[in-house]
Formats: sequence, C-alpha cells, structure tokens
Amino acid sequence: MFQRILIANRGEIALRVLRACRRLGISPVVAYSEADRDTRAVQLADEAICIGPAEARRSYLSAASVISAALVTGCDAIHPGYGFLSEDDAFAETTRAHGLTFIGPPPNVLERFASKAGTRALLAAHGLPTVPGSQGMLRDDDHALAEAERIGYPVLLKPSAGGGGRGMRMVRTARELQQAITICRSEARAAFGDDSLYLEKWLEENHHVEVQVVVDRFGNGIHVGERDCSVQRRHQKVVEESPSLALDDGRRAALLETAIRSVVAAGYESVGTLEFLVDGNGDYYFIEINCRIQVEHPVTEMRSGIDLVAEQIRIAAGEPLSIRQEDVRLDGHAIELRINAEDAAHDFRPQAGLVERYLAPGGPGVRMDSHLFAGYEVPPYYDSLLGKLIVWGPDRPAAIERARAALDELVVDGLVTNIPFHRALLRSEPFLAGSFTTNLLDRVGAAAFLAAENG
Amino acid sequence: MSDGTTGRPDETSHVLARVADEVVPALAARLEASGLGELEIRHDGWRVRLRRSALPAAPEPVAGRTADPAPGSPAAPARRHALSPGVGYFTPSEKTPVGRAVRNGDALGWVDVLGVRQEVVAPHDGTVARILAEPGQAVEYGQELVVVDPARGNA
Repeated sequence: MFQRILIANRGEIALRVLRACRRLGISPVVAYSEADRDTRAVQLADEAICIGPAEARRSYLSAASVISAALVTGCDAIHPGYGFLSEDDAFAETTRAHGLTFIGPPPNVLERFASKAGTRALLAAHGLPTVPGSQGMLRDDDHALAEAERIGYPVLLKPSAGGGGRGMRMVRTARELQQAITICRSEARAAFGDDSLYLEKWLEENHHVEVQVVVDRFGNGIHVGERDCSVQRRHQKVVEESPSLALDDGRRAALLETAIRSVVAAGYESVGTLEFLVDGNGDYYFIEINCRIQVEHPVTEMRSGIDLVAEQIRIAAGEPLSIRQEDVRLDGHAIELRINAEDAAHDFRPQAGLVERYLAPGGPGVRMDSHLFAGYEVPPYYDSLLGKLIVWGPDRPAAIERARAALDELVVDGLVTNIPFHRALLRSEPFLAGSFTTNLLDRVGAAAFLAAENG
Repeated sequence: MSDGTTGRPDETSHVLARVADEVVPALAARLEASGLGELEIRHDGWRVRLRRSALPAAPEPVAGRTADPAPGSPAAPARRHALSPGVGYFTPSEKTPVGRAVRNGDALGWVDVLGVRQEVVAPHDGTVARILAEPGQAVEYGQELVVVDPARGNA
C-alpha cells in the first residue's frame, strides 16, 4: 500500500480523497494553486504544496508541476480526483515514468478507452448495445433511405467531421431525409471540408443511466448498481439518484450484468462508470465510459456502504478486489443534489465571493460533502460546485422527504446558490413522477420550476 | 489571501523584513536543534511555519504569506523577493552571490521542474541581500528565494 499520496485537485473532491487516505492510514499531501491557499484540504493535509497560480493550465492541469510536487514531497502516488488530469493517459504515463503510481486506470487502459468511437466499437464487440446507426458513411440517397428504414425513424443525420452537435439534423420521414441530405452535405462541405454523412437513431425522450463498476488488475469485477442522472442542464448533471425509475427489475439486472461482463472482458481496471441512454421503452444504449471517480459516486456509496475512493486506491496499489458480487448489497434509495454557486433565475450564471455563513444539514441518512466554511472565498477560476448534499431513505418518497428537510437546514449566505432551484425541483411533477428526461430542463427552463415554487 | 492583519503598508514591510532576517534564521536553528519535523509560530495575524523537506537536510521556510509585500517607501519597488517560478529543486546562480548588484529580470538561479530549468529572476534593480534557500532544496511555487535590496541598488 502507498505511504503518501499527492492529491492533485481542489474543492470537495480533495477533501473526499483526503478522508479516504486517513481511512487507509496513508499520509495525504495536498497540491494547491495560489487561489486555494486558504482551504480545508490544505489545512487538513499532512503537508501542502503550492504548485502554481490560480490559472488551472499552470497549476492543476500542469503535469510537470503536479509530478514535481509529488517527487519533492516524497509521495509514491498521485490521486487526480475528477476533471483536470484525471483521464489524461499522457499524464498517467509520465507519472509512471517518474516511478509514481497514477491512481486510476493504468496508462495503457486509459489509452484503450480514450476515443469515444473506439470505446463504443470495443464494448459493442463485447456485447454492449450501442445507439443503432448506419453501417459506415452514406454512399447516396438510396443507401441513406435503406439504412434509415433499417434503423427506424426518427433518425439523426450527422456529419462525420462535425462535433458537439454541429451540423446535425433530425428527420422523421423518408421525404424529410431526402431533403436534409442535400442541405447537410453542402453545409458539411462548407464547414468541415468533408461532406461524409452517417445516420444514428434519434432517441427522443431519454434517461441518462450509468453503471458503477469496480475492476481489479486480476480481472475480478463488480458492479455497484446504477445511477439515474436525467436531471441535466446543458449536459451538466444537477441531480443523481439510485435506483433509476427508467428500468424495470428485469432490464436493470440485464443492464448491470451486461455492463460488468463487457467491461471486464475489454480489460478495464479501476473504478469506472459506463453511461447509457435509456429510451421510453426501457431499451438501453451505451454512450461512453468515464475512467475516473465521479462527482456523484456518493449516491452509490450511500446504498452499498462501499468506500469507492478507498477501493480505487487499493486497486491502484495492486490489491485484489475485497468484495465479490454476491456480497454487494444495494439498499433503499439515494439522491444527490449538486449545490452550485449559480443563479438559477438568471440562466444559472456562476457566482463567486465570500461565504458569510455556512450551516450544513445533518441527521440520519444525510451526508454533506463540501469544502465550504464561513469566511471561505469562492474563487472565480474554477467550477461552481460548492458541495453535494446526499440523502438516503428506505424508499424514494422517504429519500425525497429527507432531501427537502436537509435543504431547509442548509444555509449558504453571501452568494447566490441553486438551493432555491433544488427546492422547486423536489416538488415538481416530473421529478416526483420520475419522468424527468435529459432534455426537459433545457426545453422548459428553470423559470417554470422556480415560478411554481414561488406561486 | 489576507488573514486578518490590518497593518499599514510600511508596518507590513517592516514585519516581513524582521521575519526574514531574524525570525526565520532563529527558528531554523531551533528546528535543527530540536529534531522536530516542523515548527510554527503565530503572532499578530502572521504565521511562519518551518518544515524539514523530504530530501535535503536543510529546513524549508514556508511563510504564511508570500509574494507582493507592500512597499516600504514610496520610492521602493512593490516587491523585494525573487519568487520561485515553479515547484522543484532550487539552485542559486554562482554569478549572483550575496552583495552582487543585479538588474530587473536578471537570473538569480533556477528551479528544476522535472528536468526543466525555470529561471528565478530579480524583481527589480538592486543588490542580492540574502539567499533564502539552500542549493538543491525543494521549493514550492511562489516561495521567496532571494532577497533583493533595492536601497543599495544601482537603480
């Protein structure tokens, strides 16, 4: 096991990793930027070392600074947290080249799962269903029509060279497809210099469901259930819960079983998350894998009692998995609310400034993972996550009740937060009914929820 | 970064000079003698912590506040310390020993960050008054490494 770990991250996750180190008897060292000098993680660490200025590119994203900090403080491993360098295979490789262990998948595993398209092909070959699409690029109109017929309308017409949704068109009929192909081709040629197009099935109302996996280097793997992250704003998760209401028991079991089997077969190692879209029929399609500990991991910890960060560290140290699948017990219902410094009433504009008062909620089944304290200055340089309120209850209504009560206890004064938005959300019809889909918030807007709460 | 002192700029500068010139060496001697890994004193909102670094034997001063102390007089430059440009191992330049006159931007040494030398530069014209870290000592970003005294400089 490691003696000393450099925590190369900030905010609540730096604290979370520090706690896992304490639990395992490992000495935590915190690497921080100049903007994070006065933080809890720095105060609680055995040693703290400044690695650069506020600008992340020169501190938390600087591989040389992070590795050098680990070397000069006598660490034998680096925990990257999430974001920043957490899925950077070049960083993982450089870390290893300097005789240190990267806490996450080994560099060759990270590299194998680095490309989204490559990962989809790899896991599809190991039995995971992916979003149905055309076989390669569309040769001509006849080929397009035949493929669309085979996949089933509506379909998404996508330029091969695009990215981030640019140049895509959704079509519902053969006639629309014929018209769209001509336009799409000329647009793609103009925008990307490449007019190749392909088709993908359009999943209209979908849930985002992800599977937590833990795999050691000996090929032992477990899944720790799923999380539903369908409450999203512009692809940013806002609320996560487990279990998902989008799956019946049969499909849930099939999804979890298929996910762990395929990811072990594909040679994954470490904790990880497989993300799926689930359509209105309960059919699921793999979209991507996250090769890191995720923000919403406590949802799974609350149901399983497994310390996922400690498991991640143990696996990186070369230990075999200590839990078998049949020992994994998933109890009750857990919900996580991301508490952000954002003004929901003004397009979720991020906020920075002094936290004048901070009072955390408590009681049975309530967990608050946060780096806040009264007098803490939220810097403007990083993400707006202030903390995560996670609640557990024997069933979903009980969990929602606890979430409401905990939100009423939570006080963050001095800057605008999304706490009022969460209050409104927890009383809204789509959330209570479990019918929240990934595009609902963007389509309806936060105002509709806030108005209902105030009215 | 401020942790509560409301001292006027000239006071701040005075305290900083005293900390650098008297307190740190005295504490370093005590740390050396004690066999402890770390020593910290707090006074009037100031905090000075000394810790033995992992590799070199010399204690590593970590000031509670670094960078940009307020000017001592209206004519003085804003800063009198050359700061570490990165995290790594420090080597002072043989060309700029204590007593040598230097110009703003002159290299006073370097910090080795994974094999890449990053220069420690003079923050203004003046004279090298004191080198705060030993050759080969582990230093962090922003750490004060060389005191450049503007008063006796050729500015």
